[in-house]
Amino acid sequence: MTLNRRTFTTGVLAGAGALAAGFPRFSIAQAKAKVVVIGGGAGGATAARYIARDLAEKIEVTLVEPSRAFTTCFFSNLYVGGFRSFDSITHTYAKVGAGGVALAHDMASAIDRAKREVTLAGGQRLAYDRLVVSPGIDLKWDSVPGWSEAAAAVMPHAWTPGAQTRLLRAKLDAVKDGETIVMTVPNNPYRCPPGPYERVSMFAWQLKSTGRTKTKIVVIDAKAAFSKQAVFQEGWEKHYPGMVVWMDPKMHGGLKAVDPAAMTVTTDLETIKAGMVNVIPAQWAGKIARDAGLANESGYCPINPESMASTVDPNVFVIGDACVPGDMPKSAFSANSQAKVAALAVRGALAGQQVFPARYANTCWSLIAAGDDIKIGGRYEAKDGKITALDTFVSKPGEEAALRMQNYEESLGWYAGITADMFG
Amino acid sequence: MAGGAARAGMVLRAVAALAAPAGAADAAYGEYLAAECSTCHLRSGDFKGIPSIVGLPEADFIAALRAYRDRSRENVVMQTIAKSLSDADMAALAAYYHRLGTKR
Repeated sequence: MTLNRRTFTTGVLAGAGALAAGFPRFSIAQAKAKVVVIGGGAGGATAARYIARDLAEKIEVTLVEPSRAFTTCFFSNLYVGGFRSFDSITHTYAKVGAGGVALAHDMASAIDRAKREVTLAGGQRLAYDRLVVSPGIDLKWDSVPGWSEAAAAVMPHAWTPGAQTRLLRAKLDAVKDGETIVMTVPNNPYRCPPGPYERVSMFAWQLKSTGRTKTKIVVIDAKAAFSKQAVFQEGWEKHYPGMVVWMDPKMHGGLKAVDPAAMTVTTDLETIKAGMVNVIPAQWAGKIARDAGLANESGYCPINPESMASTVDPNVFVIGDACVPGDMPKSAFSANSQAKVAALAVRGALAGQQVFPARYANTCWSLIAAGDDIKIGGRYEAKDGKITALDTFVSKPGEEAALRMQNYEESLGWYAGITADMFG
Repeated sequence: MAGGAARAGMVLRAVAALAAPAGAADAAYGEYLAAECSTCHLRSGDFKGIPSIVGLPEADFIAALRAYRDRSRENVVMQTIAKSLSDADMAALAAYYHRLGTKR
């Protein structure tokens, strides 16, 4: 007789309670426990590997991800800036599969939480005991008047990885010296808070490297302040004097519309004729999560900070950009960190693994120019009903070049580390 | 119910671990803490911009973390991580990474 670990503990204390009552809640074994993970990015790939590790005989993990080759959004700005090749930010799932995770290269089309079943676009149905939902963000196509999914071919967003990233670089390469580049930036929350400003830096680096210093990059921001602002602005003045014009809402009065045919951007103050426009639209949780009723009015999915379990369904975990992460930013590092908390909770529930208190960490590195890299980060715990920041840090103006170079080396190490953690 | 007894022991250990993770350089606890490290420090032990911590002598491992914790060693990321680690946590991590080195 073996034991059904699914009924054994949903947590250490529940198990202890059953023992105290002198009647352990064991039952006859059934099939292996089933876990489905939706989304093969920093959250989902990490979660799948960590849940499966050394537990192949107890838990069957299926990772649902349409792409066979996954290009990371993180470091895609470095591709735009010419610091990384596209190949170097693209990864396969070969080692994920070899590590005991079953791969379903298809799109998840529906979650039936009552039946505990995921349906794939191709019609396949996957039953689960626990589900991890890590779909990332969807773009709100209607959040910028005049812009649309079709318009993204002319005014790219490049805020989801892959073809759009290459398109953005091609558009940048075609900008003539003296033409204006406009970037529109949404209000919080959105994926990768410092991302727009690192991207501005990489635009400027490319322009400067190719002698196009008469081009101005105008940033129409929905926010009055942004991540690492002091060090970004110091860096722009130092490396790219006069090339970056950042406007907060008081300066532009609000983004009114873009016109992809005329290549213009209109604010309350003016209409700007542009050689290139990068629209970063507002975002919300991936559709699969919203359709499953996991999101709240914010468009993102609230979670229990002790475990990353959805507050609306304890059998479902929502990690990464799709969740409401408390004080954590929407970053790959955060998603990877949250994945480990969810993985431990799932292993505890399905395989009786010891569960320890949730620990979270994040660091976001941003490259301003060659060898000048800045960072922001912190550590977090479950506290006051949310993921709460305990200690945080951020780069300061006036730091020595050696420290900034060290940050850059560190960011390369992090990229190698997190992608090995995700993809093996 | 040998399985039940074993599991009961496991639960008691887990409860003890929750109450006082200081317990010992317990493997499961070390693995749990180490998950935080592997976002940056490659489990392969390779150096690609961030130093390897695989297979380090335990005393050196602990000395490095303590130096970050008391801020005598520079690196704001590591100082922030080390601040959250007790002496027992550091010992568990040191044992875990030392063992990982011997497995390779």
